[in-house]
Amino acid sequence: MPRPPSPSIPEKEFVYGALKEGLRVDGRLPLEMRTPALAFGPELGWVECSLGKTRVLAQVDAKMVKPPPERPLEGIISIHSEISPMASSDYELGRPSDEEVTITRMLDKVLRRSDVVDKESLCVLAGQRVWHLRLTIHCLADAGNMLDCACLAGVVALKHFRRPEVEVVGEEVTVHHPSERAPVPLSMHHTPYCLTFAYFPDASTKPVLDPTHLEQRLSAGMLSIALNAQRELCVVQKAGGVPLAADEILRIVDVAVDKAKELDKLVEQRLKEDWAGRTVEVR
Amino acid sequence: MSTTTRSDGRTYDQLRDIMIVYEGLDGVDGSARFGFGQTQSLTSVSGPMEVRPNLEQPSQATLDISVRPLVGIAGTDSKALSTNLKAILAPALFLSHHPRTLIQIVGQALCGTESGSGLGSVGKGWNATLVASLINATSAALVNASSVPMKGVICAVSVGRFPSASAATLVLDPSEAELPHLVGGGCFAFLFSSALPLTPSSPDELPPCSLLWTNYTSSVVYDDTELRQAQALAEEGARKVWAAMKESVSNMERTAQCPAFNRFKSAKTESRVKKDTKNLSESEVDDDKMEI
Repeated sequence: MPRPPSPSIPEKEFVYGALKEGLRVDGRLPLEMRTPALAFGPELGWVECSLGKTRVLAQVDAKMVKPPPERPLEGIISIHSEISPMASSDYELGRPSDEEVTITRMLDKVLRRSDVVDKESLCVLAGQRVWHLRLTIHCLADAGNMLDCACLAGVVALKHFRRPEVEVVGEEVTVHHPSERAPVPLSMHHTPYCLTFAYFPDASTKPVLDPTHLEQRLSAGMLSIALNAQRELCVVQKAGGVPLAADEILRIVDVAVDKAKELDKLVEQRLKEDWAGRTVEVR
Repeated sequence: MSTTTRSDGRTYDQLRDIMIVYEGLDGVDGSARFGFGQTQSLTSVSGPMEVRPNLEQPSQATLDISVRPLVGIAGTDSKALSTNLKAILAPALFLSHHPRTLIQIVGQALCGTESGSGLGSVGKGWNATLVASLINATSAALVNASSVPMKGVICAVSVGRFPSASAATLVLDPSEAELPHLVGGGCFAFLFSSALPLTPSSPDELPPCSLLWTNYTSSVVYDDTELRQAQALAEEGARKVWAAMKESVSNMERTAQCPAFNRFKSAKTESRVKKDTKNLSESEVDDDKMEI
């Protein structure tokens, strides 16, 4: 006999009642985010990001290809983000759920369409050879707000990645192995961070930042904002849900700006720590 | 057998450091990460659980295994590997104990081959050591979940074959750097079960084992003596893997609390030991407070 979908009625009533008083089940403040933890792998461009129990792995890979004829001077960036049943048994392979579609589209907007990586710097030989960057996102565990975790993991992986140095003499292209010449970081225009707010059916309940799985299921609408530490908005996504007044959205954007600055500081500090601990040997 | 040391200083029958971490992933029943040095895989197990009617089997549980590479989407080689994994696990699990349910297993490779060098991971695919780490991670995750009855534990190692003028040069657990120089090799999976008959050669502390699956291939012609030598070498390695897995089970609660950033350093860090004692004293204090 199939189990009725969670959350149960007591869970629902408890969470709504607590949120009305401004209390969250895990003890956070309504606009407090779980502290992200970043772990870097032995290879460059391998990052595991965790927001509490939500964990996402991002990996960047590069190879040289011939560019399509309509864009001969730009590199190619492709993002793979299929959610497997490892994140939660609710997800099935081959059948994209709403959550998966949202994540795929947001990642595409935040990491590709907002021009995070300078595509023209990825061109090696015009019309012949460009770099094709593949960013693969693996959702390891879903405890709410996989979208923010995935965006953070993706952007940190792009910042962490180093591509091999290339020498072009005339028409001849030489790719130097990382052990011969130090690899080169990607040239990035800006670093966007995604922040998700959950709204609830009761109009008097304030929105919460970084919802957990239960809060996400019980929410009536979600607002996702991607911006960088220079107060520039990249993406504002609000797909249906609770109607919001314009000044409410502006207030939320102000909150998001402060959080983005904190995230930026944390990411820079972690990247510096990791880079200091790494020895890049050059023969 | 050659006695020359390999590029990383190991002997021909020496494994790299084995790392087993029980991840404690939130959305699944059991999960484990297994690594031979830097070659690591992560597997999650969920079940027995609700199954869709078209997958339901009346007398046994349905095994749903998916395998994902680190880079890109799962291709044909990943799908072939998941079919092999199904064939390996079916004799090791008591599937008939839970009919009309689903056991969902997802295997994830955590390392590519030379991904940062611009040579791309395309075409490198699943090498024998990565396959061995995946099988071991699956066994560890099944032990961690403890929800599916098992006949025994499956331990796998890989064996590589170097070209040699006179005789075959077999090495255990070839690393990523050694892979381009091999002319053959494969993964051997053994089932360690006390249900198997005892053989005179099996040591006392370990249960008897038998070969369950192998994908040994070679680009030069080989005979069955070489295959038997490779199997014997792999069996020694599999015994060491079993011993490591048994020892890790006693640390199962503690490894899940290990902070993520220490994973790629040695698995036994001092900070974890300090955290253990702190946790023990906290629980003792709570017990005192709980006395009514």
